[in-house]
Amino acid sequence: MRSDSNKNKFTEFVLTSPTLFWLIFFFLIPTIIAVIMALRPSNPYGDLEPGWTLINFETIFSPLYIPVIWRTIWVSFASTFACLLFSIPVGYYMSRLSEKNRKIILFLIIVPFWTNSLIRIFAWKLILNPDGIIQAIFVFFGIIPESGSLIYSTGTVLLVTIYSYLPFAILPIYAAAERFDFRLIEAARDLGATRWHAFIYIFLPNISKGLMAATAMVLIPCLGSYVIPDLVGGTSSQMIGNLIANQAFVARNIPMAAAWSTLLMAMILLPLVIILCSKILLKKENC
Amino acid sequence: MPKFLTFENISKSFGKQQVVNDVSFSVAKGEVFSLLGPSGCGKTTLLRICAGLEEPDTGKVFLDGKDITNLSPNERQVNTVFQNYALFPHMTVRDNIAFGPKIAGWNRKKIISEANSFMDLTQMTEHKNKYPHQLSGGQRQRVAIARALINRPLVLLLDEPLAALDLKLRQRMLVELDTIHDQIGTTFLFVTHDQGEAMSISDKIAVMNKGIIEQIGSPPQIYESPNTSFVAAFIGDTNFFEGTVSEVTNSEISRIQPSDFSEITVYNDKHLSIGTQVYLSIRPEKINISKTLPLTDKSYINTFKGIVDDVIYLGSMTKFWVKTQDYKLSIIKQHSSFLLDEEPIRWNDEVWISWNPEHGYLLDHYAEIDENLLTLPS
Amino acid sequence: MKYKSRFSKYITILVLVFFYLPMIVMTVNSFNNSKYGITWKGFTFQWYIDMFNNPKILFTLLNSLIIGITSMVAAMVLGTLSAFCIHYYKSKLQFINNNLILIQLGVPDILMGMSLLLFFISIHIKLGLLTIFIAHVTFCISYVTMVVLGRLQNFDFAIIEAAKDLGATWPIIIRKIILPLLSPGIVAGGLLAFTLSIDDFVITFFVTGPGSTTLPVYIYSMMKHGSPTIVNAISVFILIATFILVYFSQKLTNSKKTQ
Repeated sequence: MRSDSNKNKFTEFVLTSPTLFWLIFFFLIPTIIAVIMALRPSNPYGDLEPGWTLINFETIFSPLYIPVIWRTIWVSFASTFACLLFSIPVGYYMSRLSEKNRKIILFLIIVPFWTNSLIRIFAWKLILNPDGIIQAIFVFFGIIPESGSLIYSTGTVLLVTIYSYLPFAILPIYAAAERFDFRLIEAARDLGATRWHAFIYIFLPNISKGLMAATAMVLIPCLGSYVIPDLVGGTSSQMIGNLIANQAFVARNIPMAAAWSTLLMAMILLPLVIILCSKILLKKENC
Repeated sequence: MPKFLTFENISKSFGKQQVVNDVSFSVAKGEVFSLLGPSGCGKTTLLRICAGLEEPDTGKVFLDGKDITNLSPNERQVNTVFQNYALFPHMTVRDNIAFGPKIAGWNRKKIISEANSFMDLTQMTEHKNKYPHQLSGGQRQRVAIARALINRPLVLLLDEPLAALDLKLRQRMLVELDTIHDQIGTTFLFVTHDQGEAMSISDKIAVMNKGIIEQIGSPPQIYESPNTSFVAAFIGDTNFFEGTVSEVTNSEISRIQPSDFSEITVYNDKHLSIGTQVYLSIRPEKINISKTLPLTDKSYINTFKGIVDDVIYLGSMTKFWVKTQDYKLSIIKQHSSFLLDEEPIRWNDEVWISWNPEHGYLLDHYAEIDENLLTLPS
Repeated sequence: MKYKSRFSKYITILVLVFFYLPMIVMTVNSFNNSKYGITWKGFTFQWYIDMFNNPKILFTLLNSLIIGITSMVAAMVLGTLSAFCIHYYKSKLQFINNNLILIQLGVPDILMGMSLLLFFISIHIKLGLLTIFIAHVTFCISYVTMVVLGRLQNFDFAIIEAAKDLGATWPIIIRKIILPLLSPGIVAGGLLAFTLSIDDFVITFFVTGPGSTTLPVYIYSMMKHGSPTIVNAISVFILIATFILVYFSQKLTNSKKTQ
């Protein structure tokens, strides 16, 4: 009979290959090249020399750079935590609204983020400007001294990061909260649980998928932050992203830039792996 | 009857599973032919092979004398009514129905008039501008039928068309399908797992099980003269006895000796000899039940004593389960006279059950039957 | 019993104020006749006039649009193809395809930009509009695929069999069945790709060359080195333009729904 399945396989290959090959060629291979370049020594001009070396990785972990790595980690985790903290009540509130009101709030949250992120960061630069009103208010209330600055500090980076990623945390949590059956809370209250108890032991576990999605959507981009520390962070609040750009464009040391990229890749894989493992563990528990 | 649609030695397997195993049969022109069987028996696969949506591993399909085995679905003069109707969600009722003719390139006037007449036939004219999601289940099914029939196929294939409908609607649609068939006269090949549907609408039924055809016949033939124990158990209810032929009284009467039961007189039209292992099938409605010993001068009537174990009153009839000698037999009694005039038979009553050997049916082959196919109480 | 906690209501209001405050301040300030400060020095359109008189803005906008439209088209084609394959053929090849796309979605911009830069350096391609185009298509494909896949979830493949049964060949099936039903998803994916491309800064920053600056890259350089007043004006202008666009696209999709 006709080789139906072979014909099918051929068609499948033809239809899949354009996209597959594009991604392999322009995504997978560049990533591999980056890792390879990190293992090559550089000459004083920053170009590649033949041979293999670990010197780039040694430099990364030198005392000079450890603070940067640490800062990247703690700012990312702190931002993620803050985003979760604020997005859970918001998501909860939204899911309890009527259909019409829900859409309005959703619209209000999403639309500002249709605009360019650079613009939104710039807006903060304006507000936190030393000549600006917020500084005036803070000085008036004695929160910061006259000569202090609200801008170009790690605190600023934290604030603007939270601002930028909060919607990405709200959306998945809202989606999960919407699917949550609130009668479970009624049942818990009926059985004697306090509001707080019901919230922690009933509501949160049931939106765990949303929580994990929100964590992933904030943590991973945060680790790769470049623009925010660059525009509002100043020299004392550099993160790994800044170093990558710095090595690539200022110091022009390609292997070092590649090495920093590789480190960032590894740091990102770690949470992904943790999330994957927790998913598998959750599945095993449910079985 | 001239063979209009013929399946010759069709086999098909999916991976390691042999779904259709060397099946051959023919359908006559204008017939309503049903493939009946439990899920997984291969009936839908055969239908899809006929439609061209699956290719058989071996065998051929002939339609009106031509070999259509290697033709693709769009080249065959066969149309299908799919199980979930598969209506095009982005087209109106009218555009759905006119789809086939438009592709075939009919003249515009013809398309309009034919579409209108088929919408009339299926009573969908007032809904012609509606979209599938705006229609009820029964309405969608009518559109699916019209969409298929407008192309004047030589055979209309129906894949469990009533499965998605609720009971009352199903019964109504069966009648409608019958009417449409009478009016148009197209050959129907019907696939279903519901024996009631198959029996009520078909001219011929092929009972299938695990990839083979167990029996082909008219509904009465299938019911009254099942060839195999599967057919006997799958169609309607029955009681089974297993035993060996113990005596051959004359050319018609024999006696069999089941294990754990007294000897039973049977009608031995198959002329089986003493010692042959046989299986007796006797349908519930063929067994008489009464509180008094039946008076008869015919000694060959099988009569046994038992105790009523379960009673279900169904209005026009009552179903009994009677325990007799370690067997539990199911018996149906029609109430052809006013029930309250008789003395009712109640649970735990001692009763006499009897039947004429002519109403039993001997099978010399007993295949292991899936428990789920039998409707006896546990 | 309703569980409208007042606590979460206040938090939501706080969050919304937090979102809109910077932008309101920025908008107000764009009309402020003062170089830096938030002290109001009179109403003016001067900054907007300066903005329109800047030829580089138009040039970079044009670049952004060219890249946006071409990347959108390429991503729509490649993304739709891969979405269809992933959904229709559930094979090992598609498993790889699907996961590659998912991984690509998770990778931060800076890694993508850096990897592509290193790639282009190693194969000696000159940085310019072509490299930006390649980069944009690469990150847009995944988004289009996800959107179209979402549409495909509700796609009953039995209707393709029904079409075959009624006499349709593959060209007809694609034209009359698949494309009409998928087009809302394809268009939505395309718009998403266009938006992402127009807005992209980091990836473009890494792979851009002389003469191929896009609007976001230009805005960034102005933010670091140029006068903040023009940047303010540009920002507000883009803000308002976006709001108008979103408003009209919402109207369009709603009117399509009632049709």
